[in-house]
Amino acid sequence: MIWARVRRFPRYAAAAAALLMGLPLRVLHAQALSHWPDAGFHDGFDGIAGAITRDADAARFLAQATFGATPDDIAHLRLIGYQGWLNEQFAASPATQTQYLDWVLAQDPGEYISDDTRLESWSINSAGTPDPSRSGYPDNAPTDQLRQRVAFALSEIFVVSNSNGTLAYQPWGLASFYDLLAADAFSNYRVLLEDVTKHPAMGIFLSSIQNRKADASENVHPDENYAREIMQLFSVGLVQLNADGTPQQSGGQPIPTYDQTTVRGFAAVFTGWDWNGAGCSVDYQEGVPLCCSNPDNPDQFFYCGPSNSDDAQWRLPMQAVDYWHDDTSDKLLLTYPGVALGGGVLHAGGDAQAELTAALDNIFHHPNVGPFIATRLIQRLVTSNPTPQYVQRVAQVFNDDGSAQHVRGNLQAVVRAILLDSEARYGQWQRPDTFGKLREPLLKATHLWRALAGRSSGGRVANLRTYPSIENLYGQAPLRSPTVFNFFKPDFQQPGEVQDLGLRSPEFQILSDTMIVATPNDLFHQIFCDYTGSDACWGSDDPATLQMNEARDAALAASDPAALVDAYNDLLMSGQMSPFMRDVLITRLNALDASDYGADLGRVRVQHALYLIMNSPEYSIQK
Amino acid sequence: MHVNRRDFLRKSVCAALGGASLYSALGNLRLVAAAANARRYAFSDYKALVCVFLYGGNDSFNTIVPVSGQARTDYESSRGGLALPASGLAALTPAAGGGPANYGVHPAMTEVAGLFNAGKAAVVANVGSLLYPITQSQYQNGGVPTPPQLFSHDDQTSQWQTSRPDDANANGWGGRIADLLHTANAGQIPMSVTLGGSNLFQRGAIVNPYAMSSSGVTRMSYQDDGDECWISNSCSDWGAANMAANTAAYNALIEAGTQAHVLERAFADAATRSIANYRIIDAALGDPPTWTTPFQDTDLGNQLQMVARLIGARGALGMSRQVFFVSAGNYDTHTDQSSNQQDNLTQLSQSLKAFYDATVQLGIADSVTAFTASDFGRSLAVNSSGTDHGWGGHHVVVGGGVSGQRFYGTMPSLARYDDGNPTSNPDDTGYGQIIPTLAVDQYAATLARWFGVDGSGIADIFPNLGRFGSADLGFMG
Repeated sequence: MIWARVRRFPRYAAAAAALLMGLPLRVLHAQALSHWPDAGFHDGFDGIAGAITRDADAARFLAQATFGATPDDIAHLRLIGYQGWLNEQFAASPATQTQYLDWVLAQDPGEYISDDTRLESWSINSAGTPDPSRSGYPDNAPTDQLRQRVAFALSEIFVVSNSNGTLAYQPWGLASFYDLLAADAFSNYRVLLEDVTKHPAMGIFLSSIQNRKADASENVHPDENYAREIMQLFSVGLVQLNADGTPQQSGGQPIPTYDQTTVRGFAAVFTGWDWNGAGCSVDYQEGVPLCCSNPDNPDQFFYCGPSNSDDAQWRLPMQAVDYWHDDTSDKLLLTYPGVALGGGVLHAGGDAQAELTAALDNIFHHPNVGPFIATRLIQRLVTSNPTPQYVQRVAQVFNDDGSAQHVRGNLQAVVRAILLDSEARYGQWQRPDTFGKLREPLLKATHLWRALAGRSSGGRVANLRTYPSIENLYGQAPLRSPTVFNFFKPDFQQPGEVQDLGLRSPEFQILSDTMIVATPNDLFHQIFCDYTGSDACWGSDDPATLQMNEARDAALAASDPAALVDAYNDLLMSGQMSPFMRDVLITRLNALDASDYGADLGRVRVQHALYLIMNSPEYSIQK
Repeated sequence: MHVNRRDFLRKSVCAALGGASLYSALGNLRLVAAAANARRYAFSDYKALVCVFLYGGNDSFNTIVPVSGQARTDYESSRGGLALPASGLAALTPAAGGGPANYGVHPAMTEVAGLFNAGKAAVVANVGSLLYPITQSQYQNGGVPTPPQLFSHDDQTSQWQTSRPDDANANGWGGRIADLLHTANAGQIPMSVTLGGSNLFQRGAIVNPYAMSSSGVTRMSYQDDGDECWISNSCSDWGAANMAANTAAYNALIEAGTQAHVLERAFADAATRSIANYRIIDAALGDPPTWTTPFQDTDLGNQLQMVARLIGARGALGMSRQVFFVSAGNYDTHTDQSSNQQDNLTQLSQSLKAFYDATVQLGIADSVTAFTASDFGRSLAVNSSGTDHGWGGHHVVVGGGVSGQRFYGTMPSLARYDDGNPTSNPDDTGYGQIIPTLAVDQYAATLARWFGVDGSGIADIFPNLGRFGSADLGFMG
């Protein structure tokens, strides 16, 4: 901790220099309020297995592992400790989305189920509010926060999106894909990779569904889209990596992981896959043949498929139709030390599933996968700039989970390793200038919902059903990325000081001038309009509007604004609010007085505190 | 406190740059030094460059299409079921000596054909990312270096937007132009504005773009009487004292440079700049004029309409040079190309026409040049209902200053490649992707020169330009 204090010397030196330059004392006094988090109380060496000595530390862990800490979560985590909490979370039953869409449709067959309806279910599962679409409502709020948080992170790596013209109108298809990510979040990466490959939403998004073997006479080649992106974005990336995630170099240049020939090799593997045939028949129904495999008419492959958005085929894995699978060409796949296929070559003759298995195994065992996935998951949950050592520790767990079976790809072990690593728990003391990440803007909204115990009177949650669409206000929304490259890239560097220092800052890529205004404005709306019992604004009292329980903290805010700020410091900012910021907030709250607001004073102070905190630079950086 | 020359340079060039911060990247110190000292540009006229980026890779070979002759025969053989019927194409009638007379454009692009035939648009053929000129045999034998990660969207988009396939850390060529020329502007907003989202094209060492939405400026509600104030009934009742207190509190928290953490400073800096910029633009933008050619209510149409309004406000904003960026997505037509391209190109053509007519209405048609760009052209070979990633592609430049009604560069062979006989199509890599014969550098340098960058500026911005045939393709006269 001496190290942390030494780092702060430059600030005091600047104040001293200001005095020497004859600046007025008033300015000096203002500079005396530190902009650093007050480190006075914490020693930082509790250890993972020890008791969590402060609410703030529990909140900080929950900021990394959930959609936002609640007072109950904090108390519970302190009671059972990190490992206990993780074990509970790994065992919690998964919350899903497709049944919600079925339920909405069943309630009113005339309601149009849109992609915004899907976001209602995402809101419920991410906020952890009671789910009217499942039994036990209203005492059935989902509790699998870590699983949902990891699913959200995975959705930004294994990207499908409603930006695709077909998927824009297929909420069940997208919901089913997200459910898959949640189901596999604590499974094995190899299982996840195959499930993703075979999901029809991915088949549509990256055009692997109905991809056909080559036909020289018609100048047709297998489509390369999925082949390229599964390597570039889902598994190994463009360049060979060291175990710590840093790029290998040869002659000062990075080394490509694959070339165009390999892309073509994989493209030929991903041929002959089509809609699931479960329950289909070869009879024509409404002019559309249902089965994709028909020996009497192989071309049915191209015009079979679901008629309705809620058809089972949108929720079932694709199936092979070997007639259209390339079984005549040798396929060059990835080569690396220890590769099972000789020379990386998959020899011709295998059927679609056998070749898919071999190809995914070939990817899975590439040494890049561990550091590639480790870096991305760390960036999604903990910090934009992990040290290479941190990446390597997590990658090693990916490579071998440390069990007697020495399992490769154990995602549960990887998540545990990420969150319990010393850099996750103490990185903000090790590198107080730079550790952390810009919070994803949508997670500000979920944090508000959770921290303020948001509830809707009717059970449905429509806070993300905005006009314009929510991604136009936050720069992001689940499964709505503009391209397969997610809303922001892992190596984006904000121009200016961040870029100068060689730091990455992915989330800044969507911090556009538009979002800088639109996100605070939407949070303004939810904070000042949508509180329990409110009819302050249009839509505030709608049964589907999640209303924040601002009354809970109103009495404290009215009687002791400083105590409210301190409470919100722990709950929202993990105890990291600087004395300067604390002073600004208390000043503002004190200036709101009873003569203006009467009985509403407490609630109004809560609102101003929430707004200023959530849009402040100090809160916006999760550290 | 000792201030060294580097700090002095930084601070002097950063004054009122809008898009800059005190800690701007100094990746190319030579460019910064050039900007800081002797080479101060000043212009008595106005010019604007408008980059129209088509994300995904537009299929050029179904955009500019042969109508007749050997090219037509080749096209039909290569494209099979995806070939567009000759009868539907909109004819391009080049001026004498202005290129081949047997090409037309996609049926959805009648407006662009009209602009071409009226001399206000040009076709620049077979442009792509290149490290060096390269022939088919050099490509197939590996004798000449090629740009890295050809056919990868992300990398090719970057290479188009930077023109520097040899430098993965390069800023955008639009940004590099702005770094040199921004001192020509008296106004306070950045020289670069994007309506089409965050992009690498406009990223500079000193100047970074102001991003706004095509629907216009939105103000923050908490302190600036934004939209939420009439929806919510809350801030409208607050009164001046409360709004002032809100503003003071918020400003104290985002005051640039005061935060302890580098990411916090970056956030605060971004917020401070944004608010300053939106206030300036809000004040300068009047109500939308009635345009002679109405803009369609499409994404691209709305973006270009806002560009036109900003150009209309150039006097109030104090701008004599501006670089705009608009974009359209959905060009990655692996499947359903026929319907997707129909939609895409309709939107593109109508928007370009409405935009050109708006510049005529504003009296500055000769001063505004819009140009298309894209990740790559697509493969000549097809898959079942679409095309795969390609390399060389055709582009269109539109404006009163364009030497239009002409083709620039060479249309490639569209013959189907025969594995045993590379000469069957000498422009084909061997897998249905066409090797570019013009480099992005050349395309970009031609635009930069028209825009007012001088000779040594061109050499600084496009260091690889000398590797290629001509530094100025001539389409800007």
